[in-house]
Amino acid sequence: MEIEQQLINPMQQGLLALMILIIMFGMGAALTPQDFRHALQRPRGMLIGFLSQFGLMPLIAFGLAHLLQLSPAKAIALILIGCLPGGSTSNMFAYFARGSLALSISMTAASTMLALIMMPLLLDLYASGFAEQLDAQLREAGSDTHFVIPYGNIVASLLLVIVPVIGGMVLRRYSPGWAKTAEDTAGFMAIIVILFLLVSALLLRTEYFLATPWEIYVAAVCIGLVGFLFGYGTATAFRLPPRFKRAISLETGIQNGPIALAIIMLSFAEPIQSEMLWVAILYSAFIVITSSFVTLYYRRIGQLDWDLHHNTRIHQRLFGANYQTRYPRRVIGDVDTR
Amino acid sequence: MTHFLRLRHRQPTTHRVTAPHLAELYARAAATFGELPAFATRRAANEWSPLSFRELYAQGQALATALIDLGLERQAHIGLLADNRVEWIIADCATQLAGAANVPRGSDVTDEEIVTIFGHAGVTVAFVESEALEQRLMALRERLPHLQQLILMHPKAQPQQPLTRHLYQLIEDGEALRAAGDRRVEERVAALRPDDLFTLIYTSGTTGAPKGVMLTHANMISQIENIPIKINCADRVLSILPIWHVYERVFEMFAISQGCCTYYSSVQTLQEDLRNVEPTFMGSAPRLWESLHQRILKSIRQRHPMRRALFRIAYFLSHHYKESVFFLTGRRADLYRQPRAWVALAGVVHVLRWLLLLPWYGFFNAAVLEQVRLAVGGNLKGSVSGGGALPDEIDRFFNYLGIPVLEGYGLTETSPVLAVRTYEQLMIGTVGPMIRGTELRIVCLESGAVLYPDPQRRDGGRGLKGEVVVRGPQVMKGYYRNPEATAQALRNGWFHTGDIGVVSHGDCLQIVGRCKETIVLANGENLEPAPIELNLTQSPLIEQCVVVGQDRRYPAALIVPSLEGFRDAGWAVGSVAELAADAQARRSVEAEIKTRIAPVNGFRAHERIQRVRLLEQRFATGEELTQLLKVKRHVVAQKYAHEIESLYQ
Repeated sequence: MEIEQQLINPMQQGLLALMILIIMFGMGAALTPQDFRHALQRPRGMLIGFLSQFGLMPLIAFGLAHLLQLSPAKAIALILIGCLPGGSTSNMFAYFARGSLALSISMTAASTMLALIMMPLLLDLYASGFAEQLDAQLREAGSDTHFVIPYGNIVASLLLVIVPVIGGMVLRRYSPGWAKTAEDTAGFMAIIVILFLLVSALLLRTEYFLATPWEIYVAAVCIGLVGFLFGYGTATAFRLPPRFKRAISLETGIQNGPIALAIIMLSFAEPIQSEMLWVAILYSAFIVITSSFVTLYYRRIGQLDWDLHHNTRIHQRLFGANYQTRYPRRVIGDVDTR
Repeated sequence: MTHFLRLRHRQPTTHRVTAPHLAELYARAAATFGELPAFATRRAANEWSPLSFRELYAQGQALATALIDLGLERQAHIGLLADNRVEWIIADCATQLAGAANVPRGSDVTDEEIVTIFGHAGVTVAFVESEALEQRLMALRERLPHLQQLILMHPKAQPQQPLTRHLYQLIEDGEALRAAGDRRVEERVAALRPDDLFTLIYTSGTTGAPKGVMLTHANMISQIENIPIKINCADRVLSILPIWHVYERVFEMFAISQGCCTYYSSVQTLQEDLRNVEPTFMGSAPRLWESLHQRILKSIRQRHPMRRALFRIAYFLSHHYKESVFFLTGRRADLYRQPRAWVALAGVVHVLRWLLLLPWYGFFNAAVLEQVRLAVGGNLKGSVSGGGALPDEIDRFFNYLGIPVLEGYGLTETSPVLAVRTYEQLMIGTVGPMIRGTELRIVCLESGAVLYPDPQRRDGGRGLKGEVVVRGPQVMKGYYRNPEATAQALRNGWFHTGDIGVVSHGDCLQIVGRCKETIVLANGENLEPAPIELNLTQSPLIEQCVVVGQDRRYPAALIVPSLEGFRDAGWAVGSVAELAADAQARRSVEAEIKTRIAPVNGFRAHERIQRVRLLEQRFATGEELTQLLKVKRHVVAQKYAHEIESLYQ
């Protein structure tokens, strides 16, 4: 794939940056300090979630990059996606998949903060090999600069995207009404951004679609799907309740795409920037589709256990905290109602 | 062609119970669901006390024993004057276990009704909710010669008369008797037959004197088995309609058979209870949806412009998306079969529109409409609306919003459900297909000939209007001690409903009016007041209305103006009476009626309302309105005879 042109021009880059800002602001508007406290108070589900999110996801990305023999730049982009914290869209999907919304939100909140430490560590672990390959390629091609993964820049860009998140949280503190608006707008904006990038790429850079090898499409689709599968598996292995399984599964597979775009734009230069952006854009587009289907599936299989669990919770609210709801086995079968 | 996208909701199955009669149903529910809550009573907003299936049955058994000990005969008629409360269901359980039948009525029953009904039914024992009712019955003592025993239901009430005992006191007595080995309840239950009465309900219908509808155990059991609604022990049912009406009662019995808990709410606490109980299901009347509709619109008007705009977009998308889904899943209420080519062409357009809107709808449904649904009560999976026609506009609003309102149709005489929309056949504007086991005929009003089903006619007789005539396991045994009325309603096993209906192409029933409601003008033209009134009440300026004009030259209307509507339109008025006296207000209403009852809305020239009279007071329940808020035309005709006369001078 030899395309010298930039994928998106500076004007589009500016627009994109603005949109990311709004999206991250909206994500913050959905969070309260309470969410962080919840995360610390009941850490079991979260820890298992982290194991899956920061332990498995980068490994899956690394494995896919090797299996599909991606070019070094694309492999680094894929691993970068694998190391990302969870996005705010995962909360919406978790809600509709009858997963634990509280767990999803607290995982998103905590992983965004934790990413400051985890991302450099994980990138060093998995991506440094590809970085050396890339460095060698560049020098073969006659470049006199060394390529190293810009850890400092990555942390700086992460900090930069966290600023609007905090801004959103402040807004939530002072004006819940406006915060709700910001949240809805941001969710809408996230879809617009992906569509805008895809359509502009399709119209202006049709060759990108044609020149993209099938492996990239496979990688972009599979990283999410395998993430869902392994996330569910991890939670099952630790015998978590069904609604935690669904939340962790979605949280694992759905990464914060806008952060990937921000990091790539701020930390990587051409000639590899466009190549990396393209992987991130494809991932962001496919993850919406795959997680919609997975959510519909979870919603269906989770109906009874969710209803029973929710019913129990309402019984406790109305009849007193000590009220025990005992569903007879012969009535509900072997459904896990925890 | 139109059915290729039929979506099936596959729900996980849970155990449910059924039985040959209601006494056995209570027993089996207790054995199956045990400690799960069956009913819950509100103490405070977030403080409710549950009664489990086992406790309900145990208390019912004890009370039944005490009743038998008091000398209650098999198949005796027990009076039951109370509103929705858990003691009502305990009393009902005891009645069934004692092999008796109850004669229920709400606490707003009038003295005249008590005398007529108790006298006609031969009531000797009566449950009464409160001390106030006890006093009223005692005052009527002279006119109730058969009455021997009163039982107070409210836990805090104290018996004032030597004749009165308390329900919980009797339960204690019964427990002692059972502990001593009393097994008379088991004997009564063993003697019970499906054909025995479980209740005798006196209807205060829209016409004439009350008639005692005899409903059997088999009637109610058939309803439990055939109502096509899926709920289970994870569901919560909110009870808001009057329990003495069979429509609410069938839902409570249905809830018992499915192991789900019923929460007693009230009009005053409904908003709070919707939020706290998060019901998943409820029996409801059109009035409830109208007020929820108003509430949602109001809360949206108060949001700031950005979110209001988001709601508009979401509603627009949902509207067009769902229209396509309805078309593609064959859920259109077409009266006639459409030409194949036309259906195919429209199908292609709908598939394209569906695909185009899917991602946008998906997002807006999740981000915006879900919030609105949460405001209404969170987990509502659906609701059956009955007891009157649901205005089309409101019907659509909730269905587009994603809260399926399943409109149903039935009468007390049919215990009551005859037809109901299901999630699969959610055809707006109809009351759905007939439930399993129920046969339907549409009969010509003039000749009495069967119009549907008739293979000789075009499309089997679909699309033809006539009287709705039914046969099925839910049809009553007859009217108690009233063979003339029974013979008139039940002919060769077919029950004549007195409603005018038409079967749509998709085999769903549409109710278009009452036979007896038809107004015949002096010039011989016929008109149905119901559709006109339904349209008029959708106007923000009109709260209630009645169209009159039998044997007159032209139709006219009595209107109760809407105080809120006028205030929203910028009027500074203090009362309905003030509006009624205002000529300007009348002209506004007249102008409104002129635009609504117009040929563009499908009304014909002779249906145009010529004159209008604004009334000074709202219609009152129990007075001009039935418990289910239907207008009693004969009462209106009497009470407002003077006003009606003035419309024709």
